[in-house]
Formats: sequence, C-alpha cells, structure tokens
Amino acid sequence: MSVLLEVERIVLRGNCSVEDAEPLVVLLQTHPDFEVDIGDTLHLHSAVLQVLLAFRPRLAGPSQDAFIQTWIVPLLTSVDGRLVPHPRPPCE
Amino acid sequence: MMDELLEQFLIEGRELVQQASDDLLALESQPSDPGRIDSAFRAVHTLKGSVALFDLAPMGKMLHCAEDMLGAVRAGHLPVTHVIIGTLLDCVTASDSWIESIERTGHLPADAAARSRSLQAAMASYLGEADYDNEARMSDAAPAWLSALIDCHHEAVTAARSAGDEITALRYVPSKDCFFLGDDPVALIRSIPALIALDIAEQEDWVIEQFNPFACNLYFEALCAMPIDKVRGIFRFVPDQTVIVNAGSKAVPAEPAGGGMSSDRTGDGAMRTLRVDAGRIDSLVDIVGELVVAKNGLAHLAQQAAATDAKLGRALAANQAKIDGLVGEMHRAIMSMRRVPLARTFQRFPRLMREIAGRLGKEISFKLVGEDVEADKSIIDSLFEPLLHILRNAADHGIEDVTGRRAAGKPPSGRITLEAMRGGDQIVIEVADDGAGIDLDKIRALAKTRSVKSESAIDALDDAAALELVFAPGFSTASAVTDMSGRGVGMDAVRTAIESMGGRVAVTSSRGVGSTVRMTLPQALVINTVITVYIGNERFGVPIDSVTETVRIAVDRIVPIRDGEAFVLRDRTIPLLRLSDLLGLARVERSGDVKLLIVISGEQRIGVEVGGFAERFDVLLRPLEGLLLGMRGVLGTAVLGDGHVLVVLNMAELIDERAFGG
Repeated sequence: MSVLLEVERIVLRGNCSVEDAEPLVVLLQTHPDFEVDIGDTLHLHSAVLQVLLAFRPRLAGPSQDAFIQTWIVPLLTSVDGRLVPHPRPPCE
Repeated sequence: MMDELLEQFLIEGRELVQQASDDLLALESQPSDPGRIDSAFRAVHTLKGSVALFDLAPMGKMLHCAEDMLGAVRAGHLPVTHVIIGTLLDCVTASDSWIESIERTGHLPADAAARSRSLQAAMASYLGEADYDNEARMSDAAPAWLSALIDCHHEAVTAARSAGDEITALRYVPSKDCFFLGDDPVALIRSIPALIALDIAEQEDWVIEQFNPFACNLYFEALCAMPIDKVRGIFRFVPDQTVIVNAGSKAVPAEPAGGGMSSDRTGDGAMRTLRVDAGRIDSLVDIVGELVVAKNGLAHLAQQAAATDAKLGRALAANQAKIDGLVGEMHRAIMSMRRVPLARTFQRFPRLMREIAGRLGKEISFKLVGEDVEADKSIIDSLFEPLLHILRNAADHGIEDVTGRRAAGKPPSGRITLEAMRGGDQIVIEVADDGAGIDLDKIRALAKTRSVKSESAIDALDDAAALELVFAPGFSTASAVTDMSGRGVGMDAVRTAIESMGGRVAVTSSRGVGSTVRMTLPQALVINTVITVYIGNERFGVPIDSVTETVRIAVDRIVPIRDGEAFVLRDRTIPLLRLSDLLGLARVERSGDVKLLIVISGEQRIGVEVGGFAERFDVLLRPLEGLLLGMRGVLGTAVLGDGHVLVVLNMAELIDERAFGG
C-alpha cells in the first residue's frame, strides 16, 4: 500500500503498484481538492498514472525520481485542462 | 532473462518462418497479391529484428538481404518470379533449420556461415539488377503519427541526429486488459535508456464518474536515441501492441502499420487469448488424472459400504455419481485447453512438399483441407513424422513422373491432398494421391524377398490383406528404396505411431487411379475406458475402444481348424485365440460358456477368449517406464480404486505378435 491519506493531502510513497489505483480513485473522489504529494514516489504504475491523468489533482513535488520528474510531471502539470504532452502545444 | 528471451524467440521465430513460408507459397500461385508481399516482408523483417538480439550474425545477414529483396519486390522493382520466390523460400528453409539447431544445441550449425554467404550472394545478384530506390520506399512507408511526433519534438530529434545517434520511434497502445496480464507500460517505457521524447495520452476520453482503474486507457509515443533492434528487444513481449520504426534516416514499419493503430486492434475484443506454458496445463492434466483415480476409489468404497449399510452405500453412490460427472466435465474442460488446430502441424507441409517434389523432379500440386480441425496437442505434435512419411511415400512411390503421367492420360502435375475431418469424437486424416496406385504383385514379391511372412502365407492373402503387408514390420525397412522414402522408417513405424496415440491407419488403393491412407485418431489422449478381464486370478485391462463386443458362446460352437480354433458369429467365421496363449499363461479349463472379446485386428475380427469379464473403469493410462519400456502387447498401466495396478493390454499388438511374429 503506497497511497496514504494525510492532513489535506494524499501521499504516494515508494513504488505505486496496480493495487494502488483503486484506493487512489476513492480518495480523489472523496477529496477532489486535496493535493497529491509525489515527492517520495519512486515508480508510478501505469494504472496509477492514468488515475492522475484523468483526475488531474494538484501535485506537490518535485519527485526525487528522475524519470517521474523529467517525463511524467510535465504531462501532469499542463494547464489547459486537457491532457497535452508538454512540448506539443505549438503543433496543435 | 536470456533463457526466457531465447524461448520466446524460438516460439515466435517458428511462427514467423511459418508466416513467411505461407505467404511466399501463396505468392507463387498469386504473384500479384500485395497483402501477401507485405505480410512476408513483415515476417522476415520482424524475424530479422529478433535475430539481432542474439549472437546469430549469419542468420541476421541473410535475413537482412531477404528483407531487402522483399522490399524491392514490394516496391515493384523486382518481379515475383518462380526463381525469386524459390530463393526467398531457401532463406526461410535455412532459418527454419537454424532455429531447430538453436533449440537443440543452443547455436547455429557449423555450415551456417557458408550457407548464409551463398544465399546472400544469390540474392545480391537479383538485387543488383533491380533499380532499387531506397528513399522512395522509405518515405512511402512512414506512418502519419511518426511525422507528427518528430515535428513536435524536432529540437530533441535534431540534437540527437547531430550527435550521430540512430533514432527510433515507438507507438505503444497497450491492450485494455494489460494490467491483468501483469503488464506495466510505464515500467517498459522507463526501461528505455535513451529516451528523448515521450507523449502519453488517453485512448478514449476519461469518464471520471465511472472511472475504471483496471482498464488501461493510455497510449504512448516515444522517441529514443538507440537502434531499432534494441527498442524492439525491450518491447518484444508486446509486439502486437507496438509499432516501432526507425526515425533516423529511414522508416520501416515493424508491425501492421499503415497509419498507426486502428482502434479495434486494441479494443476489448483484441487480447482474448492468453499464451499459457504447456507445462502448466500438463500439471492440471496430471491433477485431474489423480482425481480420476481418487474418484474410482470412491466407487469401490461405496460398494463396500453398501455391503454393510445399504443406506450409506446408496448415499455414497449418489455422491460418487455426482463427483464422477464433475470430474468428467473438468477433464473435458482441461483437455479442450490442450486442443490446438491441426494447422500447427499441417502448415509445415506445403513447403516440405515443394522441396520433396523439387528433389524428385516431379510436378506436384499439394492441397491442404481442414487445418482448423482440432485435437490434443500431443496428438498434433506426434502426427508430424508419420504424416511426413506418408506424404513422402505418396510423392515418391505414388505420383508417376511426367512421362508416366502423360502416358496414363493424366495431367502432368500430380495431386496430393492432405485432408482432416471431424468424425464424432475422432478426427480422420486422409492422404490421397492420384498416382499409379499400389501394385499388389510387386507388394507380394517384395514381402517374399524381405521374408515378411512365409511364401505360402503371402500367396494365400486376398488383395485387401496383401495391401496390409505394407504395414508389416520389416516390409519397408529392409532396403532404402530411395533416399527420399527410405529413411529407415517404414509404414510399420507409421502404424505403430498412430496406434500408440490410440488411432488406426488403413490404406486403400486402386491401380492407375491412386492411393489413400486413412488415419482415424482420437481427439484427446490420457483417459481410457477399459474393461477388466480375468484369466484365473489374473486381472488385465483392455481398452474398450479396441473391443467391438463381448459375447458368450457354448463350448460346442467352437470348431477346431487346423491347429487353431474358430466359431461362427452371425454367419461369419471368426478365428478364436485364447488370451492365456497370447500372454504365455497357463490355459484354464473351459467350463460352461466361453467368454469372448471381439476385437479388430487390421480389417479382421478376432475372438479372444478370456476367463471372465468384470467392470469397466475410466483409468488414466500411464505409459510403460523403465524395464517395461518397449514391451510389446502392453499399452500401459493404471492404478485402480483398490490400489491394485492393472496392466492394460494392446490387443492388436498381441494378436500381431502371434500372427506374424510367432
């Protein structure tokens, strides 16, 4: 279990596996305004990543994991509501 | 990891070889089918990619050449001629035998480098003639998503290109159920060491209200600064969900590309099959086998209980019947998992037949029917050798040479058909040729020179029985007839192989018109119903499917004939053998009626006298092991409910021993 509920935020700690996706969905549905802390996240399973992409919560970071920080965070913090990969806007 | 990769390579490699060979053979008759050209190209291309993961340079180089050649064919720079297809088929054949060698020995055979060089030289000579426009071919094939991806990330691409890196683009659309299969697409993407761009997006719009966290709705597009084969190595377990292309100077679609993925390929309907290691299914089969034994034990207990407490006995028997039904159902379900289509074995034959015909200098048109008929994996796998032998025979001895056919007023090209049909619980496989048919005088003469039976016995045979001589041990092994058919295995080996699977084989032939070999096989192995028979105190099992009926006759209906005995059953005279004689046991005095099993041997019915019959059992037949291995006349053993071991007899073999050997 890597999804933890803390005061006003949800913490994803260590390796988030496929089992963490459902609890995360429940937490985000009950607390849509909580931010999700990915500072200590080491890996986001695709199932967990797609929850974040779908619900688009505010993120607290930076992630200590280089892959997440370089490739995933930019996808999760794009602004226009729709998921847009980071360098893509000029093309569309 | 390496072993797993290699194992996967061996499985996929075979499939790709098969695909390429099917396509090439189809192209021979339909040279202008672009779908087949594409498909062959992709198969060779993918095979080449897989080969690159291992230290198999000669194979890789040859396939590279073959790919170029198919590329040239695809671009219309090379015509589809018999010679070109032949050369490509040679490459496929070489790949096939190399894969076999890798599986057996772990490496390519010693002559691989030389064989590869000569094939490359042959292909280079055709390619040299072709006006082979690389650029045009490549730009044609670039999928639409690729240019969008490169445009969006052109800075990263330019930087990597100027650094001299080879750039590979990847589009990965995981199947919806990939999480259930244990896939984590992000983890795969993560393992790309030289990622230079990554886009992740949803396949279908998110539905927040009814969010399904278990269905993967992501797709990935990535660029990486590494060679295509390395990227393909990372994604080799999801080849059906990825398109991997070279985005450096050229672009070649790896998988059915065209313009990226069509949605139905990745939708719910796509990944409905699961590749399960056969070993796991086999262990289920073992368990269900033990269950059958345990279940039989219950029947025995119910009987014992009924003797002391009728009520308990009935209750137990009712329960036993229910378990009996469930075990049967479970057995059928598991066996159906082991069922595979005959195509698995059949598909290899068109290429082999082409080769055989070529070597014999005959024209043969080969037709396959019923590849979708299914049977147990072990049967399908064991069918290859016997079928190959029968097909070789048909091509070698059946089909006449072109002059012979003309003289007989037949079309120059001989016809051989391999056809499978369902027949109830059984499958029927026929190999038919329109050749010269079997010359019975020649068969009789050969049987005499090879001392298959005594001369007088051979002369006494009617035509149908004489035809059966081809199956007699020693008939076709005595001298290698030609290098094609005479590989030291004869039709007797074919019959043994088919019968060891619980099947039967027979041949019919008509002079000048052709021959047909007909095999009848069970769809599944493992569980047999046996009838138990007694001789004195000894108990034996006889598979029920080898017994056509059980009869009791009065002693005085048995008539002595020379040194044997016979009786008349429904106006037919049937020879009588005593099981005690067949097994070399002491005779038991006849008292009252004589009990007989009527069994079929070859085409003849024979009565086998036993001391008594008892109940029928479903048993898991265990093949003979150790000292008993190879004992003729015994199919295997089975453990009964009371813990006794029952020896299950092979009646046909016992009778053959007596008739031909003794």
